[in-house]
Amino acid sequence: MIMIKETIVIKNENGLHALPASRFVKLADTYSSNVSITKDGIEVNGKSIMGILTLACEKGSKVILKCEGRDEKEAMKALRLILEGQD
Amino acid sequence: MKKITVQTLYEEKKKEFNLEILVGEEFMSKRYITTYDVFRPGLALAGYTGYFLGDRIAIIGKTEVSFLKTLARPVKDKRISTVMGRVEPCVIVAKGLALDKKFLVEAKRRKLPILRTKMSTTPFIHKLSTYLDYKLAPTKYQQGTLVDIYGVGVLFIGKPGTGKSECAMDLIERGHRFVADDLVKLVRRGDVLVGGGAEKSARLRHHIEIRGVGIVDVFRIFGVKSVRLRKRIEVVIELVLWDEIKGEYDRIGLQKKTKKILDIEIPRIIIPLTAGKNIAVIAEVVAMNYLLGLRGIYPAREYDQELKKVLANLETPSVHYDEDVE
Repeated sequence: MIMIKETIVIKNENGLHALPASRFVKLADTYSSNVSITKDGIEVNGKSIMGILTLACEKGSKVILKCEGRDEKEAMKALRLILEGQD
Repeated sequence: MKKITVQTLYEEKKKEFNLEILVGEEFMSKRYITTYDVFRPGLALAGYTGYFLGDRIAIIGKTEVSFLKTLARPVKDKRISTVMGRVEPCVIVAKGLALDKKFLVEAKRRKLPILRTKMSTTPFIHKLSTYLDYKLAPTKYQQGTLVDIYGVGVLFIGKPGTGKSECAMDLIERGHRFVADDLVKLVRRGDVLVGGGAEKSARLRHHIEIRGVGIVDVFRIFGVKSVRLRKRIEVVIELVLWDEIKGEYDRIGLQKKTKKILDIEIPRIIIPLTAGKNIAVIAEVVAMNYLLGLRGIYPAREYDQELKKVLANLETPSVHYDEDVE
């Protein structure tokens, strides 16, 4: 439980729009770990949707996903799949 | 320290400042502006270079141009060369003035851009400084919600799920003005902290997510009177879950807690969350208390002073109501 972070490239054709973002926060909410997404030096909480949408992560943009807490490994594994997802 | 390139200045302001490039377009992306102050090289051109502020943009106006005309060529060339060798960001000529050709030669040699504006020198300096102050201001992004309550900028912070968005909704319904939710962009202007939305498009502004409802368009529902673009932040309200707080809050109002944001101390109020508590009403009271404070009125302090008088038997308690039959 140190905090893990990974750089992820958004692959979705339409960028991280409302649907994947809402799936992301819903899933993030199920973990006790703190989750955050950073883009262009701006860090937002991964459990609140407006922050993620405000980042406006377009296709090909690089974001840093951070997870910190008891279940950080599981959270990272599941959440990065959504960010890397195609739909 | 923040910095911008001369290129950015030119691209963003060429229309407003009526800027043209005299020389050195190719060097503009390599020259950085780090301060909003400007430098008039008049004294340096007159021969005094003891205090040369080379990190600032050098502004050449009518004074400098007229003075140079009084100099003989060899001296003039030498002085221009000295000035051009020490200016770091760029030189800007005001009033559309024609520049001595030595400037252009030196600019090419030293890879220093020279721009020209049609604006008069003093108004130009004012506008340039204002623009640079904004561009170079320290900036921070903060998780929170910003609402203007009775003209007081109140920034709500707290963990997700503490009801910041819902509280903002409640305040909007009560006629207060909403600035930003979830991600607030904070900019330090002098000793003032200004907050606004971080959205990348105007049409994405002024939305709130209410759990269970989804994204709510505040502008469309509550109208133009219920939103504003930015607001000076004067109070921070921190919402904390009751069982996490352990008595860390003020019971009287005599303590003065602050939160330091971008080196500015902002009064901070901690509010423990309990069932049935109406945070919007409490936030209104916090704002009004702050307004009283601006007028030098501190209810907790006055109450305490009065109490001390009573305890010292200095004040005779009023008997009027005691004799009332009701």
